[in-house]
Amino acid sequence: MYTCKTLWGTSVTKQEFLGRKPLRVLEKIKENLEKLNEKMEIMIELQKRGRKDFQPLADAPLDVMTLLSMPDHLRKTAMTVCRLGRATAEEVAQQTHRARAVESGYLNQLVIMGHLEKERKGRKAYFYVEKEDQG
Amino acid sequence: MWKRKTKGDHLGKIMAVHSYKGGTGKTHISINLATSFVKHGKKVCLMDLDFRAPSLATFFSLEKVECWLNDYLNGTCKIDKVLIDISHRINGDGKLFVGLANPSTEAIREMSAKDRKWEMRALGRLLDLRNSLLNDEAFDYLIFDTSPGLQYSSINAIVSADLVIVAATFDRSDVEGTKRMLHELYDLFEKKTDIILNRVLYDVSSKSGKNNVEKKIKGMYQTPVLGIIPCFCDVARAEGSFIFVQEKPDHLFSKIMDEIANRIERSNSV
Repeated sequence: MYTCKTLWGTSVTKQEFLGRKPLRVLEKIKENLEKLNEKMEIMIELQKRGRKDFQPLADAPLDVMTLLSMPDHLRKTAMTVCRLGRATAEEVAQQTHRARAVESGYLNQLVIMGHLEKERKGRKAYFYVEKEDQG
Repeated sequence: MWKRKTKGDHLGKIMAVHSYKGGTGKTHISINLATSFVKHGKKVCLMDLDFRAPSLATFFSLEKVECWLNDYLNGTCKIDKVLIDISHRINGDGKLFVGLANPSTEAIREMSAKDRKWEMRALGRLLDLRNSLLNDEAFDYLIFDTSPGLQYSSINAIVSADLVIVAATFDRSDVEGTKRMLHELYDLFEKKTDIILNRVLYDVSSKSGKNNVEKKIKGMYQTPVLGIIPCFCDVARAEGSFIFVQEKPDHLFSKIMDEIANRIERSNSV
């Protein structure tokens, strides 16, 4: 079957391009744009910190004293994840009444700082403090 | 075990009773507030989160305890093993459960040596109580009696709570410390905070006396006042040997506690 590669490396069939599944194509584009956005946020954050590698800072527990010392905007995001247990940027944004893209940036920043962990399941990225069975 | 309402349809509230200094009456207020709620027919859980100076086990003379709150926070037992039903001791239509902190020296020493990672997990377990007790077991109120000042256990309780009740006095160092906590602790966590001024010296028979005290407190803290409790010799004389609102329901102290419970219930129903 004829396929072509999108800008982000995902394969899309000819039939999809011809409009049999336009919604699916749009969804894929959206998904890829979100991934690209997240990568850019991480790169910006790393640049700010003068680092080239993406290795989260190890062992930075999100305890209340850490929460107290955080800037207000990050504390709000971190506390929301603590309350929800495990959440997507969309779910956090619903609680904080801030834009999803803004929360996505803050959440990725918290991942880089080593306070949160991130797991991708299909199209969705989940953020959480730590799994119960860890350490 | 304690089912009453359907899962998910319940709107309970978690309250943390906190203060800057010790000896402001947090435990006394917590016990009497919990009892007032039970008298109003509510299902209440009172938890001793003061792991440095536990007091509820002694107050309620409960010795044979299967599991302590320490064990729940350590992740070695479930919360239903911790809670003890003492409803039979209260004259009211509601229910009262208590969760106790282990008062042994060994347990106090152990709790004071916990690291940041443990405290982070303890916060997670306190946050889980909203689901396990408010939503699943239909408790109306969880009351956390905390340790004073900026301790891990008390800040964990504050972060988990919907409402922080600050037990304060007119002692100058307490006033300054409470002001700092209002701006540098409760505000940072965006917590709804109300103040109860305890042991206030004023003429209880004069309405203007009470109004002046109220004005003074509002000017001092710019925070809602939940109640003003005068300094009662009868309360001091009781030496914490019984639940005041239960034994002396007609005393002014009991009436003030009832009014405080009513105010919280009204704000909860809005």
